[in-house]
Amino acid sequence: MRKKLVGVIVLIAVSALMLVGCNSSKPVPSEVGNSVSSQEKKDELVLAFDSEPETGFDPTTGWGRYGSPLFQSTLLKRDDKLNIVNDLATSYEVSQDGKVWTVKLREDVKFSDGQPLTAADVVFTYETATNNGSVVDLNSMSKVEALDDYTVRFTLKEPQSTFVNTIIGTGIIPQHAYGKDYAENPIGSGPYQLVQWDKGQQVIIKANPEYYDKQSYFKKITFLFLNEDASFAAAQAGTVDLAYIPAAFSKQKVPGMRLESIQTVDNRGIAFPFVKSGSVTKDGLPIGNDVTADPAIRHAINIAVDRQALVDGILEGQGTKAYTSVDGLPWWNPETVIADGDIDGAKKVLENAGWKDTDGDGIVEKGSLKAEFTLYYLANDAIRQSLAITVADMMKPLGINIKIEGGSWDILSQKMHANPVLLGWGSHDPHEIYNIYSTETAGIEYYNTGFYSNKTVDGYFEQALQARTEAEANEFWKKAQWDGVTGLSAKGDAAWAWLVNINHLYFVKDELDIGDQRIHVHGHGWPATDNIVEWKWAE
Amino acid sequence: MTSILKKFPLNRKQWALMKVLISVSVIIIVILGGLFLDEGRIVTNLTNRNSPPSIDNLFGTDWLGRDMFTRTVMGLTLSIGVGLIGAIGSAFIALILGMAAATMGRTADRIISWLIDLFLSVPHLVTLILIAFTLGGGFKGIVIGLTLTHWPTLARLIRAEVMQIRSADFVQVSQRMGKPRWWIAVHHILPHIVPQFLIGFMLLFPHVILHEAAVTFIGLGLSPHEPAIGIILSESMKYLSSGMWWLAFFPGLCLLMIVRMFDSIGDNLRLLTDPNGNRD
Repeated sequence: MRKKLVGVIVLIAVSALMLVGCNSSKPVPSEVGNSVSSQEKKDELVLAFDSEPETGFDPTTGWGRYGSPLFQSTLLKRDDKLNIVNDLATSYEVSQDGKVWTVKLREDVKFSDGQPLTAADVVFTYETATNNGSVVDLNSMSKVEALDDYTVRFTLKEPQSTFVNTIIGTGIIPQHAYGKDYAENPIGSGPYQLVQWDKGQQVIIKANPEYYDKQSYFKKITFLFLNEDASFAAAQAGTVDLAYIPAAFSKQKVPGMRLESIQTVDNRGIAFPFVKSGSVTKDGLPIGNDVTADPAIRHAINIAVDRQALVDGILEGQGTKAYTSVDGLPWWNPETVIADGDIDGAKKVLENAGWKDTDGDGIVEKGSLKAEFTLYYLANDAIRQSLAITVADMMKPLGINIKIEGGSWDILSQKMHANPVLLGWGSHDPHEIYNIYSTETAGIEYYNTGFYSNKTVDGYFEQALQARTEAEANEFWKKAQWDGVTGLSAKGDAAWAWLVNINHLYFVKDELDIGDQRIHVHGHGWPATDNIVEWKWAE
Repeated sequence: MTSILKKFPLNRKQWALMKVLISVSVIIIVILGGLFLDEGRIVTNLTNRNSPPSIDNLFGTDWLGRDMFTRTVMGLTLSIGVGLIGAIGSAFIALILGMAAATMGRTADRIISWLIDLFLSVPHLVTLILIAFTLGGGFKGIVIGLTLTHWPTLARLIRAEVMQIRSADFVQVSQRMGKPRWWIAVHHILPHIVPQFLIGFMLLFPHVILHEAAVTFIGLGLSPHEPAIGIILSESMKYLSSGMWWLAFFPGLCLLMIVRMFDSIGDNLRLLTDPNGNRD
């Protein structure tokens, strides 16, 4: 019996040694294999993203809003510092009244099929986009015309400085090669051409030899569409060069890859109903909430919420504190930053406004009104759920009782005017501030869900839109956030409680240089492609 | 322990009774625990996240620092509650339809049998998902879905039992004496099918709880921040690949145990009430 036992122990020890041996010897050949293969496929790249552009690659229906349009090029673009620079354009001019925009085009540009790109194609693009009535918002444009082969004139209904962002975001399509299946067979003047698109699986692109600007380092790029787990597994297996991953995986190590954590304005915050209850929308949905209509409640929540704890606890440290929807962008007003995590300060704010816990149930009241409301969030989004739960718990010691309720977009869109909702925005277009906070956009789609309205802020919006340069406009955008007296930010009306900006995380092969990533916008993975032409293997 | 057992040998029925009592008391403890546990235990605690099981947190904590033991117990209570409502509803439908089929004449029997066959021909879970989805999910959707899908087997059983009793002499006599049908049904037939009905109900229970967990698992049920066991399990899937096994292991094990207990209550009750089992 004893002999047998010894035998078993020896057997276990030997097999354990063998296993260890396998483990320690394994990485060596695989490392060799990796470097060989990376040398072999020097000009090829495989990327794993979790969202597929399901509607295809037609800029007139929204392709290219997030990240590079890849196949098309735009009249203007933003550089890594977010300055506006020429792309297809050689210059552009805005008339004195801000209504007429004249853009001159390069004359040497050809589409990937060899045909020249002219003003007619630009006009065709914008007219198609207008007729498509898609997310590309061209309501402000009254007409677009070609003055000659290389000059285009846009006429706007109202002066709008942010029209420049529409120009930046809209890739030019060829009039001669546009048809019903364009979204699946895009032809354009961009740095890449589509090789194949296997829906639900991958997109393969190659460099466009006709491209007029700097040629891409990589001749062939494959985008794999993998969900979070699969993307992480692919990174571990070494089959991808870059993988977009959620924060939950950020603590994991992948040999041969580094974690790139890129700052974003991909923000999350709570939109409060700004007005008292009582009215309804055209569709009969209730508007307003008596509790959140009190500025003291909104201020108290803004002051009491511990943003750093949210970043550390929910985003695993991969994020930044959010104070507005545009943190870190050129039109952001840094004065909007407030001291937070201050329960005592928040309690004072409530007390001064007459909120007191008179019946001893731990919830403050003002007259017969209890400080409680339901916070809605998108049920299938884990980060929004975690944020909602945590913020609700953070407000308990303050005496504000937040109930939470998850729902689909359908449910949210019914509840969002009368209840606070957890929403996210984030764009390189300052027009977004106008959309979220203007009186004009109250109740339109998901813009200004809380019916926020402030005459002074509206005035600054007006001035910002009428400005003739972006620099001039930025000053007014900043004033709209906080001008020293009032504003839309937490210092002023606190129409939102912005919580966090979610960093975009990528596992990147150690040797792959993805350039200087600009502050990313809302959108899964794709914003990284903004400067994809500049990516290269580090020598 | 063994000496005590030897001194007082339990026969099969006593054993069965013991098992029923133990199961019932465990379930009652879980339910009471769920009702009286301190809500403060599941408040988020961002400084104590993702910690493995320890003395303080028997089942570990989740990614928001909530105590998994408390969440599991609350989840079980919620699941048992939903299961209870669903099972009672189902059993009630089964009772009425089963009795009606057997006593209301040939046409009623044909219609009800056809209904039973119809529901049995489609898997429970599919109909349940369809109903819950049509009603927009949530507590209401799940309870109605469970109630409307779990009655057919029990209804068929009750129908067969009633048919048997209906041909018994005392029922025939009663009929000849001119008693109305409903009077016979209530006074002669109902008392005879109570044991079968109770056992059927108990055996329905674990089935209903499992299906409730399944539906909440796929996200059709309650709001995802509520501590239902199906939701807890579905959430934990996301964290399995980062090595947080305790999020799925303990709640899953508890669900399994509770379901097994209900099962054993049902089985042992059958043993206790079975007139043919009286030999020892």
